Amino acid sequence: MLNYRFILLVLGLLLVVEGVFMLLSGFVALLYGEYDLPYHLTSAGICIVPGMIIAAILKDAPKNIGKREGYLVVSMVWIVFSLFGLLPFWLSNAIPSFTDAFFETMSGFTTTGSSILNDIEALPHGILFWRSLIQWLGGMGIIVLSLAILPFLGVGGMQMFVAEVPGIVPDKLHPRITETAKRLYSIYVAYTLMETVLLWVGGMSFFDAICHSFTTMATGGYSTKQASVAYFSSPFLQYVIILFMFIAGTNFTLSYSALHGKMKKVIQDEEFRNYFWITIGVSIIIGSVLYFSGDVATVEKAWRDSLFQVVSLITTTGYATADYLVWLPFLSVIVLLLMFLGGSAGSTGGGIKVVRIVLLMKNSYYELKRLIHPNAIIPVRYNSRAVAPNIVNNVLAFIVIYMLIIGVSMVIMSMMGLELDTSLGAVATSIGNIGPGFGEVGPAANFYYIPTLGKWFLAFLMLVGRLELFTVILLFSSYFWKG
Amino acid sequence: MRIFIAGAGEVGTHLAKMLCNAKHDVILMDEDEEKLKQIDSHFDLMTIVGTISSIEDLKEANVKSCDLFIAVPPYQDMSILSCILAKKLGATTTVARVNNHEYLLPENKEFFRQLGIDELIYPEQLGASETVASLKQVGTRQMVEFSGSKLVLFAIKVRDNALIVDKTMAEISAMYETQQYNIVAINRHGETIIPRGSEVVLHNDLIYVLTTKSAVDQVLLDAGKTQFEIKNVMILGGSRIGKKVAQQLEGNYNIKLIEIDKEKSAKLADELERTLVINGDGRNLELLRDEGIHKMDAFVAVTANSEVNILACQLAKKMGIKKTVAEVENMDYIDLAENIGIGTLINKKLIAASHIYRYTVRAHVSNVKCLISTDAEVLELIAQPGSKITKDQLKELKLPKDVYIGGIIRSDSAILATGLTRIQPQDKVVLFVLPSGISKIEKMFN
Repeated sequence: MLNYRFILLVLGLLLVVEGVFMLLSGFVALLYGEYDLPYHLTSAGICIVPGMIIAAILKDAPKNIGKREGYLVVSMVWIVFSLFGLLPFWLSNAIPSFTDAFFETMSGFTTTGSSILNDIEALPHGILFWRSLIQWLGGMGIIVLSLAILPFLGVGGMQMFVAEVPGIVPDKLHPRITETAKRLYSIYVAYTLMETVLLWVGGMSFFDAICHSFTTMATGGYSTKQASVAYFSSPFLQYVIILFMFIAGTNFTLSYSALHGKMKKVIQDEEFRNYFWITIGVSIIIGSVLYFSGDVATVEKAWRDSLFQVVSLITTTGYATADYLVWLPFLSVIVLLLMFLGGSAGSTGGGIKVVRIVLLMKNSYYELKRLIHPNAIIPVRYNSRAVAPNIVNNVLAFIVIYMLIIGVSMVIMSMMGLELDTSLGAVATSIGNIGPGFGEVGPAANFYYIPTLGKWFLAFLMLVGRLELFTVILLFSSYFWKG
Repeated sequence: MRIFIAGAGEVGTHLAKMLCNAKHDVILMDEDEEKLKQIDSHFDLMTIVGTISSIEDLKEANVKSCDLFIAVPPYQDMSILSCILAKKLGATTTVARVNNHEYLLPENKEFFRQLGIDELIYPEQLGASETVASLKQVGTRQMVEFSGSKLVLFAIKVRDNALIVDKTMAEISAMYETQQYNIVAINRHGETIIPRGSEVVLHNDLIYVLTTKSAVDQVLLDAGKTQFEIKNVMILGGSRIGKKVAQQLEGNYNIKLIEIDKEKSAKLADELERTLVINGDGRNLELLRDEGIHKMDAFVAVTANSEVNILACQLAKKMGIKKTVAEVENMDYIDLAENIGIGTLINKKLIAASHIYRYTVRAHVSNVKCLISTDAEVLELIAQPGSKITKDQLKELKLPKDVYIGGIIRSDSAILATGLTRIQPQDKVVLFVLPSGISKIEKMFN
């Protein structure tokens, strides 16, 4: 029997937390004196009041939870957060359709960044702020946040942390999970503040600077402008955003090491080195093709456009300063492959994650060696340590399930009448939490025209991708519910 | 407090769990990833795969920021080495587990301190001492002495025949003009109760009683325990504990030791001059009969296998032996063994934990004892001048519900605490506390 009382208690408490953040966006609405203020307050009330009642009733719920409760509560939290988080959009009529509001909110929390909005600049500041804030909250993770601010979750927190931040091997920064969560959030907040200041100094308005910092650090990709970051033509601003997208796509544990003066650890990290060189290598290829094919006039612009799109896609942020659909087919294909890569494990990025690709490649390569030496013991090495076979198996299963989901989902999307490239783009971008896709959902277009059912399905894929497949998929397996 | 535990064996894992539940920051290091995995997924602590005698691994694990370093690997040389390294790398206090009693001799203490080892523990030795102590005091499950046995804590199983059964705490203390003993806790169906005046003692309760040396007989009388003398002891299992018990007892008691392994038996017979070592399987009833089990006064089962120990004691009880002692290393069996009436239970892990526990309490501790069959602790704390506990009479102080102040030792005389008692600075206070109350009590004593 699952501990439902505890699950409900967590949901209740977290609703209160969500309500408090809604009050924050209400405060922004108040500052700008726009019409949306009452909607923020109503939404906050709808979250806080029932949340408090549930928490008060169940405050004595037993706190011992197992793995099952961990997985279930994390999936539930994300769904409930999106259902309540859509209230400001929906009530204020910024997004009149419930489906669209849910899509936009889920896309926000999972840091996907796919939007159904056709005229972003027309929205009031409070709504835009909320739209960026949900990405920031989803970036480091709702459970991680709650562990940092609600210490009582302590014991059960472990199970939830593992379900929300799966990764390959759990990295703890401190023996206590709540302390680990606090440290992660402190780094996250510090980077966000740094970026805000830099963007502000670089000429963005303070409001735009905050919103873009929120969505950069979360590798979310919501912009306050319809044209995304392309609106800001200043190279300085674009380079700042590139830098912080790159940082957000790096393992936060490495940031912690770097801040403690252990730069050697960062440079020697195998995942980081691969992540770094893939980014640089692919950017140089794309940049040179852009320049020599005559698409872009100057070397600097070609390099910047290329680097920006590459970092934006590999970290699964999804900002755009150029439309990769109008590039040569050769480049579009490279862009498609980048979508599968994802940032580093332990970052705010989505996708498969570089470490899994590295392990997959190494294992596949060693398989050749194993054919020649059938009796040799050839372990997969990562950071110069042998990786346990069960971890390699887990990685293989992850990638197979990932591809399987993409395949099946493409069939489902095409049944709704979408073209091949649109189906592939929409599915890959949703499960990878990227944002823009291909075909009719490319960087210059949006998801407004996707059929209603398709929007719900894509929103589901976003959640599956954000929680790294297993957490959500597990709930659909009979093992989970059987005794 | 940041605590580093090197070695995830039985003792290490138990310590990690216990200290983790007591809200300490625990880091557990071992070479074997499998051992760590199990505990990592159930407890809020950090596990590190590494060699505990490797300088690089210890540095990497940030051992210099640790307040307490506990080395409990399987081998004592490893344990001593890793403590020395940890101390040099900056750990504040180090504790090493050893299995050579000469290291524990007082004259060697300074030598080990210079090496960088602050404390040595030898769980088997402690287990043997505890066994011997329990044989000397029949009728009780566990006995803990404070300040040279001026105050004594007994764990006693109450049966129907006890004088105090079905009486409330208030009625029991009204039986005497002056306080003879304090019932500091009751363990009923595996749950620990800190009794207040209206609490009733029931049949089958395990009560913890604190008393002065002079009232010991009174306590046993009231609990319905008759005294008998132990002369013949049978020990099952020539483990380290078994050997030590035999060594300590063989002068004054008739000892028979049964060991299954032939070579080991021969070696034991060589070392234990006045003990009769028998090579055979202790589960064989014929053998036990031949060796006159019915004539025994006490039966001590200390094989490496907890199940065997429990069953053998059950068997011995059936044969009419009044006092049985079993080593039960599996924590989950303790409640079970307690309920089926095995007399005294010995657990190395708990004993080791008791000794290490004192370093983690942020008050001036002179003694700590973790009790078997309950997760509570008995502490002997020194009241600091100006601390809150010395401010008023006990009944006026708002004492937490999970604490019971049992007695006080004031300049060599023992006083049993009542509501009217007022604690003075430098008093040694013996108190019974549940894990939830430890941080509250720390504050009151500082």
